[in-house]
Amino acid sequence: MNGLAVAIAAVPAALAVAVLFVPSRVGRIATAIGGLVTAACIAALALQTADGAPGAPDALSALFLLPVAIVYGTVGLYTTWYVRVESIGSGGDEIYRREFLALTNAFAAAEAIVPLVTNMAGVWVALEVTTILAALLVRLHGTAAALEAAWKYILIASCGLAIGLVGVIVLYASGTGVLGQHYEPVWSAYMAVASRLNPDGVRLAFVLALVGFGTKMGLAPMHTWLPDAHGAGPTPTSAMLSGVLLSDALYVIVRFASIANAATGTTMTHRLFFVVGLLSLFVGAFFLLRQRDIKRMLAYSSIEHMGIVACGLAFGARIAVTGAFLHAINHAATKSLAFLSAGRLSHRFNTREIAGIRGAVAALPISGTMFALAGLALAGMPPFGTFRSELMILAGGFGGREWWIAIVALLLLAIAFAGIVRWVTSVCGGEPPAEVRRGERDPGAIAAMLLGFAVVLGLGLFVPPPLGRLLEGAFRILEGRS
Amino acid sequence: MIAHQLTVPEALAGTVAVLLMLVQLALFRSVVISELIRLYAVQSFLVAAIGFGVGVTEGSWDLIALALLTILFKVVALPIYMQSLVRTISTRVELPARINITLSLLVAAALIGFAILTAMQLPLHHGAFLPQADLATTLAIVFVGFLLAILRPNALAQVIAFLTIENGLFFGTVTLAPGLPFVIGVLLLIDVLVAVVVFAVLVRILVGQEASASTTFFERLRG
Repeated sequence: MNGLAVAIAAVPAALAVAVLFVPSRVGRIATAIGGLVTAACIAALALQTADGAPGAPDALSALFLLPVAIVYGTVGLYTTWYVRVESIGSGGDEIYRREFLALTNAFAAAEAIVPLVTNMAGVWVALEVTTILAALLVRLHGTAAALEAAWKYILIASCGLAIGLVGVIVLYASGTGVLGQHYEPVWSAYMAVASRLNPDGVRLAFVLALVGFGTKMGLAPMHTWLPDAHGAGPTPTSAMLSGVLLSDALYVIVRFASIANAATGTTMTHRLFFVVGLLSLFVGAFFLLRQRDIKRMLAYSSIEHMGIVACGLAFGARIAVTGAFLHAINHAATKSLAFLSAGRLSHRFNTREIAGIRGAVAALPISGTMFALAGLALAGMPPFGTFRSELMILAGGFGGREWWIAIVALLLLAIAFAGIVRWVTSVCGGEPPAEVRRGERDPGAIAAMLLGFAVVLGLGLFVPPPLGRLLEGAFRILEGRS
Repeated sequence: MIAHQLTVPEALAGTVAVLLMLVQLALFRSVVISELIRLYAVQSFLVAAIGFGVGVTEGSWDLIALALLTILFKVVALPIYMQSLVRTISTRVELPARINITLSLLVAAALIGFAILTAMQLPLHHGAFLPQADLATTLAIVFVGFLLAILRPNALAQVIAFLTIENGLFFGTVTLAPGLPFVIGVLLLIDVLVAVVVFAVLVRILVGQEASASTTFFERLRG
C-alpha cells in the first residue's frame, strides 16, 4: 500500500489517541500540526495520481481527499483558538477539551479513510464510524438542543446507512453471478465486469445507495437532520460535517453511479440526480430565506449546494460533471471558511441569532470580512471558485437537451443568492453594540481563515493543471469508461 | 418459478425466515416497551440461528463466531440491560400509535407483498442457503421496521424499530452475501451497542423529567 495513503489515515488516528493523554494546550498545537501534515500528504498523493504514478489511488479517490486536506488543515489551526476559549462552564473544561480534540482527530481520520478504501464494505464501515463520531461531537456541549440534534442525527443517519447497506448487499449479490460466491467487493472489480453484472440488481443498488448515502449527503427530502446537527454542534465540527462528510457521501454515490452507468447506461442515474438535485435546491433556497440562526442558515446553504452538485452530475456533459466535482471542493473550502468565521462572530457577540449580530466587520475586522467574502462566494459571486464551478455546471446544462432544468436551477440559485446576501449584509454592516469588544488577535484562527480564503479565491482565479487532470479522470470514471 | 425440491436445511431456513417476519409483525400489537424488548430478543435469536446455519454449511468460522456473539449480545446481555433500564421508569409507559393495530398490520402486509414482488423482479444469483426468500425477507424486515418507526411516535419504540432493521440487515448480509467481510457483521454489533446507549440516555432523561418519551419532546429544533 502507498506510504502516503497510510500516513493520511495514521496521522490523525494516532493524534486522536495521543491528545487524550497530554494537556489540551499541547494537544491543540499537535492537532494544528497534524492537520497541516495530513494536508501536505494529501496534496503529494493527489500529485502522484495526477502524474499517473503506480500505486497511487485513482482520480476519483484522490479528488475526494482534497476536501479533507482543505478542511482538516484549516480546522486544526482554528482549534488552537477554539479550544482555548470554549467553555462548558461546569469545571469540566479540561476533560471537555481533550475529548473534543480526540474526537475531532478521529473524525478526520474516518473521513479520510472513506475515499482511500477501495473495498465497498470498508467504505460503508468508515462512513458508519463517521456517524458515531459526529454524533458524539454534536452532543459534546451537553445542552438540550445538542442532545436533540445528536439523537436525530444518529437515528436518521443510521437508518440512511441501513438502506445504503442494503444497496451494498444487493450490489454484492449482483456480482456473485460473475465474480463467484466469495469475492472481494472492490470498486475496480465491478467496473471491469460491469457489462456482465445483473442490470436490475445494479439499478436497485444505485437507487438504494442514492437514498441511503443521500441521507448522509443532506439531499432533500432526506436532509432533516442536517440543520440541527450543523447548528447545535461545536463550530469546527460543523465545518467538518459540512465540508467533508457531505462530499464523502457524494463520493460513495458517485462510485455506485459509475458502476450503474457502466452496466446500464446513464439515463437512469441522470434522471434520479435531477429529482434529488432540484428538490434540494428548492428546499435549500427557500429555507435560507427564513433562518434566524447564523449556523442553521449556513446548513441550509449546504443543502442548496449539494443540490447544485447533483444537477451537475445529472446534466452529464463533460463540462457540467467536472464542474460538479470542482464545486464539491469549492463548497468544502467556502463552507468551512464561512463556519469558522461565523463561529468567531457568534463567540464575540455571544449569540447565534442573526438579529443579534450587527457591525461584524467593525468588531472583528478580519473574521467579519472573511464571513462577508465567504457569504458572497456561497452566493456564487465572481471571482471566487464557486462562481467558476456553478458557471461550468450551468453551461453544461444550457448546452444540452435539459436546458429548461438549467433555467429552473438558475432561478432557485437567484433565490438563494437573495437569501444569503440579505443575511450577510445585515450581519456585517453597521455598528456593533457598545458593549461588544472591538479588534482581534488570535493568530491560529486568523491563519486558518486566511488559508481557507486563499483556496476559495485561488480556485476561482485558476484551476491548477494537476487538478484539471484529476477532474478529467474522475469524469471518465463516472462515465463508466475506466 | 422453477419447481424445486426442498432440502431439509432449506426447509428449516424457510421456516425461520417466516418466524422472523411473524415476530416483526407482532411488534405492532405491543403497547408496553418491555414486551417489545422481549420480541426483539426472540428475533435476534432467530437471526443468529440463520447465521449459525450458514456458517456451518459454508464451513466459515467467522460466521459461526458472529452468530455466537450475536446470541451473547443481542439475545442475552442487551435485552436484560434494557429491561433493567425500563424498570427504572416509575410510571408504566404506554406506547402511542398513530393508527390502530389492524390498519397497521394491513399496511405492513402490503409492504411485505411489495418486498416479495421487488425481489421476484430481480433474477439475482441468490445465496445458496435460502435461494427463494433471502432478498424478499431482508427487504420486508427493513420496510416493516421503518413502518414501525413511523407509526410509533415514541423515542424508545423507534430505537427498537431501528434494532429490528439492523436484524434485517444482519440477515441479508449472512444469507445474500456471506462473502462480505466479517467486519460488517462486527460493525452491526457495534451499531447495536450505540443504539442501546442512545436508549439508555433516553431512559435517563425520562426518569429525570417524568416525561413520556414521546418524540414531541424532540421537536423543538425545526425550520
